[in-house]
Amino acid sequence: MTTEHLVLAVPSKGRLMEQTIDMFGKAGLALRKTGNERGYRGEIVGIDNAEVAFISASEIAWYLKTGRAHMGVTGEDLVREQMSDADDRVEFLKALGFGHANVVVAVPDYWIDVRTMADLDEIAGAFRREHGRWFRVATKYVNTTRRFFAHKGVSDYRIIESLGATEGAPAAGTADLIVDITSTGATLAANGLRVLDDGVILKSEANLIASHAAVWTPAVRQAQNEIMQALGL
Amino acid sequence: MAAETARKFEALEAQAQKIMQVFIKSGHEAVSPAIIQPAGVFLDVIGESLRARTYVFTDPDGDELCLRPDLTVPTCRLHLERHEEAAAKARYCYNGPTFRFQPVGASIAHPREFRQAGIESIGFPERERADAQTVATIIEALRAAGLKTFKLRIGDLGLFRALIRAIEMPDRWRQFLTHLFWRPDAFREELQRLAQPRMATLQSIPAELRDAIEPADLAHSERAVLDYMAAKGIDAIGARSVTEVAASLMWRVADAKADPLPPESVALIEQYLAISGPAKAAGACLKDLLRDRASTMGPVIDSYHRRLQFMSELGVDVVHAEFSAEFGRQLEYYTGFVFEIVSPELGLGSPVAGGGRYDDLMRAAGAKSDVPAVGAAIHTERLLGVTQGGTP
Repeated sequence: MTTEHLVLAVPSKGRLMEQTIDMFGKAGLALRKTGNERGYRGEIVGIDNAEVAFISASEIAWYLKTGRAHMGVTGEDLVREQMSDADDRVEFLKALGFGHANVVVAVPDYWIDVRTMADLDEIAGAFRREHGRWFRVATKYVNTTRRFFAHKGVSDYRIIESLGATEGAPAAGTADLIVDITSTGATLAANGLRVLDDGVILKSEANLIASHAAVWTPAVRQAQNEIMQALGL
Repeated sequence: MAAETARKFEALEAQAQKIMQVFIKSGHEAVSPAIIQPAGVFLDVIGESLRARTYVFTDPDGDELCLRPDLTVPTCRLHLERHEEAAAKARYCYNGPTFRFQPVGASIAHPREFRQAGIESIGFPERERADAQTVATIIEALRAAGLKTFKLRIGDLGLFRALIRAIEMPDRWRQFLTHLFWRPDAFREELQRLAQPRMATLQSIPAELRDAIEPADLAHSERAVLDYMAAKGIDAIGARSVTEVAASLMWRVADAKADPLPPESVALIEQYLAISGPAKAAGACLKDLLRDRASTMGPVIDSYHRRLQFMSELGVDVVHAEFSAEFGRQLEYYTGFVFEIVSPELGLGSPVAGGGRYDDLMRAAGAKSDVPAVGAAIHTERLLGVTQGGTP
């Protein structure tokens, strides 16, 4: 990838990839893989100074943070998780209306006495006295969780990093509550969990995002303008 | 920062030798606890705020480990490994690297890798004497390393705990206020809340359950919770028991029915927290403020003065020491006496040494009962920076 090319990072698989390609397509920008169908390089038909990198949604945030991509499409949740100072490092150009997911704090529905983050703080001491440890929060959103809990004044807990099936952690006994994404809440309910009344951390959706860390040469800027124009931005 | 040049490394080593000599001469055994520690012990003891600054990693076996963020917990673990009887008396000293994440742009006085030289006294029941010896030894070591001008700041969480015990209120309010002591804003808010009628707090409990909870009858309340769960089809999952949930609901109902905290109690707590100034004058202030509660507060105030007396006998300049009732609010595992040595060059935010009493920590690290313990450490890079007249 040369600095004379704009690098656009888009999700490499699943619904998110389809919806992204569809969104660009409707704006008259056809994204096409170059070479091997399974490859990860592509182009935007009609824009010479741009190339497309098909990578996983979570890696896109890292590409934007480090400047390996100039622009990218990924979830706001993933960007905020990987950058404590996201608003300085990137610019959210447009919320795209798909990939909706809320990052929430969910406790066992059975914790009838815990409805709010303040309630959670209140039971922390008793929990520790009873179990000899702080309560555990399973999540893959480690930084997001820390920021939100600190903001709410809850400091006596421990994070257990979870890389999948987080919602099963309380029933399995590996954690006491979770921070995870949910779209309808059905999965949470099926696992006996309930979102706290003030437990919605972030209402996330897919965003078109620009990196402040990338090198913006005039040629790259030109390519960005063409993309932005096509998208009506 | 880690010693970046050979010269600085040698200067740190030379300084460490002077410090360790003082520690060893005063009866401390030199130990070198492991740098890599099991993460679990630390994280369960120190809470998430220091965890956020601890380098945690997973080894190829999947075990969660960390680079030690301080040397106190590793020294406690070492003591427990050596002594079946955790209350066995021992004095340890150490000098070695510790690691704490610092955000981009942190000042040079806050490096992510730095050497702590410190002491820990475990199992000495005469607390005030052990506290005073710790301060005196640290000051002697700082002097030996060439530190000339500094200020001693002291605090005492034991006074706060005793004050809360001396004021009439439900036990759970005491526990919660103590829990919040570490966060001054939340503490003030909760204090105001306790002074108001609390019926509103009941609204978060479902109505049918609210009326069935009996504040004084655990068995009855447990049945009420089980009935409610059965009616709503809620399963019990996770580590908390029905008893814990019921007890928590009982407290809430009891809280709502309890009389609010009287304004004079709120005022007393606020006046106490506002005390700060020269250590001896502050002691007199404490006596004045708490005269009406002499029966309960007497012993801790005596212990405050006895500690000052011991320090004075050991050659510590207590006349210029400064007491603050709020001091100690940032240091979560301390339980009693706390202190800091501040240099005029680096100021309040970057003390060159600090420590205190941590009577709960040994139990948290695995001892079967509480063990009296007190310790302190010198931030050796800062000290070198000050004694060499440059930046640390």
